[in-house]
Amino acid sequence: MSTATESAGARLVLNIYIGLFVLYLFLPLAVMSAAAFNSYDYPSVTQWRGFTLHWFVALANDQRLLQGLVNSVLVALGVIAVSIPAGLSGALILTRLGQRSGTFLYSVLVSPVLTPGIILGISSLIFWREFGVPGGLFVAVMAQSSFIASYAMLLFLARLQRQDRTLEEAALDLGASHTMVFRRITLPFLAPTCFTAAVVAFLQSFENYNTTVFAIGGEWTLVTEIASRLRFGLSPVINVVGVIFVVLTLVAATGYVLLKGKPKR
Amino acid sequence: MGSLARAYGRPLATLITGITLLWILVLILVPLGAMVEQSLWWRDSKGDVSLAIDRLYNDISLIELDRNAETDPAKQAAFDKALAEKQAEVATLEAEEKNPPKTYGFANFTRMSALHFYIFVRTILYALLVTALALVVCYPVAYVVALASGPRKAVILMVALIVPYAINELLRVYAWLMILDYRGVINGILGWFGVVDLDNRGWIPFLENPSAVFLAMIYTYVLFMVFPMVNTLETLDRNQIEAARDLGASTARIHRRVIIPHAKPGIAVGCIMTFMLSAGSYSVPAIMTRGQGGDWFSQLVYRQFYESNNWNMGSAYAVSLLVVCTAFILIMMRLFGVGLRDIAK
Repeated sequence: MSTATESAGARLVLNIYIGLFVLYLFLPLAVMSAAAFNSYDYPSVTQWRGFTLHWFVALANDQRLLQGLVNSVLVALGVIAVSIPAGLSGALILTRLGQRSGTFLYSVLVSPVLTPGIILGISSLIFWREFGVPGGLFVAVMAQSSFIASYAMLLFLARLQRQDRTLEEAALDLGASHTMVFRRITLPFLAPTCFTAAVVAFLQSFENYNTTVFAIGGEWTLVTEIASRLRFGLSPVINVVGVIFVVLTLVAATGYVLLKGKPKR
Repeated sequence: MGSLARAYGRPLATLITGITLLWILVLILVPLGAMVEQSLWWRDSKGDVSLAIDRLYNDISLIELDRNAETDPAKQAAFDKALAEKQAEVATLEAEEKNPPKTYGFANFTRMSALHFYIFVRTILYALLVTALALVVCYPVAYVVALASGPRKAVILMVALIVPYAINELLRVYAWLMILDYRGVINGILGWFGVVDLDNRGWIPFLENPSAVFLAMIYTYVLFMVFPMVNTLETLDRNQIEAARDLGASTARIHRRVIIPHAKPGIAVGCIMTFMLSAGSYSVPAIMTRGQGGDWFSQLVYRQFYESNNWNMGSAYAVSLLVVCTAFILIMMRLFGVGLRDIAK
C-alpha cells in the first residue's frame, strides 16, 4: 500500500490536483472527439446541429488523406528497415566497448534524440540535395531514422545488459561457428526487443511532424497533410481522424498496461 | 572491435561496425556538417551587376543604331569591334550574375535582422518558461503516480497519462485551436451568456494573442516532463521516506532532502526534453497561427527554406537554435550533476 507521507488533508488536495490535471489533459480531446459527430460543417460543440456520421464518410472519400495514410505507412516501414539494423549494431558495439571510448560513441549515437526535430529535417534535406535527391518520402525516412535508430539502440542496450554472455562463450567452446552463435543465441534473445523496437519506430515515425515537414518537400504524409489543411480552416473531417486516433490509443494503452501487469515496486 | 570480433567472428563484426559507421556518417554527422557548411557561405546577388548589364545593353543598342546609320566600311568595322567588346563584357557579367561566387564567413549569423533576433530571444524565453511551468505542474503528479498511490491507482493514472501523451501532437494542438478559435468553445460559451456576439463577429480573438501559442505549447509538451520523473521516482525505496518520517522530518524536508535529490536525473531529462521540444517546435505555432503569424523562431526557419528560398540564412538560423539547445543540455547536466548515460534511459 501507499506510504502515508502526508496528512489526510494533504492527500485530499493532492487527489483533487491530480483529478484536475487529468481533466485538463482529457477535456480538449473530448471536445475534439465530440465535434466529429456534429452535423455542422464547422467543428464545434457549442453550436450543436444534431448527431451525424457524415464526416466519417467524408474521410473515407478523401483521396489526399488516404494517400497520406499510405505514404505514412511507407515511410514508417522504411524507418523500421533502416533504424532496427542501425540501432542493433550500435547497441552490440557499445556493449563490447570499454567505458572510455564507449562514452564518446554513446554520446554521438544518442545525440539525435536530444536534437530539435526541425534540425534533423533540415540537415537531411541539405545533405541529400548534394546528391540530387529533393525533399520527399525518401529524405523523410532518412531524417526520421537518424533519431528513431537511437531509440531502438536504447531499447537493445537495455536488453543486452541483461544478457548472460557465458551462453555465447559456451557455444563457441563447443565448436559452434560465430554466425551460428549469433543466429541461434544472440538473435533469439533479442527477438522480443526487435518487435518492441519496430512498434516504437512505427509509432514514432507515423506521429512525426516537426522533422517530416522539413524533409518531405512536395509530398505529404497523413500528419503533414492534416497540418496543411488546418491552415485553410477547420473541418470536422480532421476531428474524425482525431476520434480514430483517440480510440486506437485508448485501446493500445490499456492493452499495453494490462499486458505489462502491475508496475513493480 | 577486438572483443566484437571474438564474440561474433570477423565477418559479422565488420558488418556490425559498417552499419554503425554508416548510421553515424550518413544519418548524423555529415548531414549536420552539411548544414553547418551551408550556414557559413552565401552568394552575393549584387544589384550593381544587374545594373551594369542593363547599361551595357543600352550601349549596345546605341552602337548598333550608329553602325546601321554609318556607310563608311572603315567606321563600320570600328563599330563592330566596339560591339564585340561590349558583348563579351555582357557575357562575363551575366555568367557572374547567374552564378555569383561563394563567400565564406559568419555574415548569415550577424545579418539576422533586429526583429528576427527579438523573436529568437523571445522563443528561448518562452521555451524556458514552458519548461519551468511544466516542472512545477508535473512534480506533484509524478510524485503521486510513482510514490503516493497503490498499485491499482498507479496503473489507472499511468493509462490516463499515456493516452494523451501518445495521441498525435498535431491533434492535441488542434483541440486547443478548436477551443480558442473565433467560433471556438470559449467564445461559444461566452455567446450563450451574451458576453460576446458571434453573429456580428464580436468574438474575442484569443488566437491573435501570442499566449495562445504558449498555452497550446504547455498542453502539448507537459507530459514529456512527467514520464522521466515518474521513471526515476519509481526506483526510490519507499522505506527511505518512511525512515525520514520516523526520524521526525517534516513533509517539506522529506521532499527537499530525500525525494527531489533522488529525482534529479529525471528532472534533468524532463527539462531537457521539454525545452528542446518547445524551443524547436514548428507544429504548435504553425497551427495556432494558421501559418500567419511569425511568433516562433521555427517559423522563421521554415520560411527561409520554403518561402524566401534562402537556405544559407535558414541554416544559420537552425545552427543558432542547435547551439542554444546544446548549451541548455550542458548547463542542465552540470547543474544536476548527471551524465549522458543517466539522461538517455
